[in-house]
Amino acid sequence: MRRCIGVAAAALALVGCKTPPTRPIAPLSPLTVEQLAAAVAADARRGELTTDSKIRDQLAADAMQNAQACLARAPQAAACLYYDGVALGLKARAHPLQANDTLKAMLDALSSAEAADPAYDQAGPARVKALVLIKAPAWPLGPGDPETGLAAARRAVTLRPDYPPNVLALAEALAKTGDTHGAFDTYRRARDLIQALPPSRDRDDWLKEADQALSKKSASH
Amino acid sequence: MSALTLAALATLVFCAPGYPGGSGDAQPFVDQFAKAAAASAGWKPDSLAAIYDPTDPGALAKLGDKESVLAFMPYAFYIQHAAALHLVPLAQADIAGVGTQEQWTLVGKTGGPVTGPASLTGYTILSVAGYAPDFVKHTALAAWAPLPADVKIEATGQILSALRRVASGEPVLALLDQTQAAALSTLPFVAQLKTLTQSAPVPVALIALVGARLPDARAKAFQTGLVNLNSTNGGAEMLASLKLKGFVLPQFPGNAAKP
Repeated sequence: MRRCIGVAAAALALVGCKTPPTRPIAPLSPLTVEQLAAAVAADARRGELTTDSKIRDQLAADAMQNAQACLARAPQAAACLYYDGVALGLKARAHPLQANDTLKAMLDALSSAEAADPAYDQAGPARVKALVLIKAPAWPLGPGDPETGLAAARRAVTLRPDYPPNVLALAEALAKTGDTHGAFDTYRRARDLIQALPPSRDRDDWLKEADQALSKKSASH
Repeated sequence: MSALTLAALATLVFCAPGYPGGSGDAQPFVDQFAKAAAASAGWKPDSLAAIYDPTDPGALAKLGDKESVLAFMPYAFYIQHAAALHLVPLAQADIAGVGTQEQWTLVGKTGGPVTGPASLTGYTILSVAGYAPDFVKHTALAAWAPLPADVKIEATGQILSALRRVASGEPVLALLDQTQAAALSTLPFVAQLKTLTQSAPVPVALIALVGARLPDARAKAFQTGLVNLNSTNGGAEMLASLKLKGFVLPQFPGNAAKP
């Protein structure tokens, strides 16, 4: 989920469009809020693994449909607001020409989710918001705002200090805002946290991210 | 690819210091540009490669390669490096939403002490063009030249952060390109910012020959191809992906665009 958002944000670097994102009204789904949220999460995980634009498009459409169904069932639920943001991230990646407006809608959804339940998904709303703000092109080309992203990453770490993706997001925000030493120390802290976890695919991915950032920073010193 | 083919390949370096996007993000777009521009110029297919670099030192290093015969660059980069690299303007870019020329705007704090060049003492000017101090001092701020000797000029890709610093009263000023200046009204703290001076219209970006690495006839063909690029099949769409509308012959003073 971290990477797809980053790629979508990066796609804004050279393209831009003022087409507003469409938000169709979804029929009431027989699935529960938890099932619909899990379906979006599954789409996001699959989206991380594919480079096929058609599959990305299908996953984004499916995620948007499930997110809309979730919001139709529980419009104020943190889970629905959060996964609406995640689905919009998939849509931004699949449709880079509309990514600017889609990412703005994504940030709005994540702000609503954070207001509803800041601790949801290990402080997910603030963490994902931080990543979008860090990676998206900055004003005036896009919604990127590294300083505000750093503040969001700090909120996520304050709420869930031992969750590695929160610490990785903070390290990335520190690097983007010019705090090289702070970023290095924070990546090392993330690495320590990750190494204490039992083996899993997530653990491998997080460790790879921390190691790559640390090796880059070591090489630049 | 054979060694012979590699040796014959000309390279167009996209020099984009201070602008968003890494090399990986931009490469597919500049590859398409090189292919279309070569075709429009009547060059052999695959005879032109393109490479993107978002940093001033990185772009300079790439331009040091003898295969780098052409460069796409912001006007600030041209002003800063034209003499050392023997750059010869070939075509001026028409940027979507901007045009072929733009004005640069120096922004300070509303009610702040800066009213003219003399009051700049001790200040730092932050800009996406800060990597090109000659451009900042002698082109963008020509109306205020000479600047006090202790004025610092720094490059920043975080112009929003720079504007926050200006608004908070730090001894910094922001030098904005036309797109940034036009968007000032979208900032919630716009009332704390004021325009101090504005440049005359200057080119936005251009494609230049790097020294005399390209034979005159090929250079002339490429120049014609660039000017005609937006009317080729699919050319306008390809250009739009790079936020370009097309190219015109150079129209700035002192150019030597007669390959």
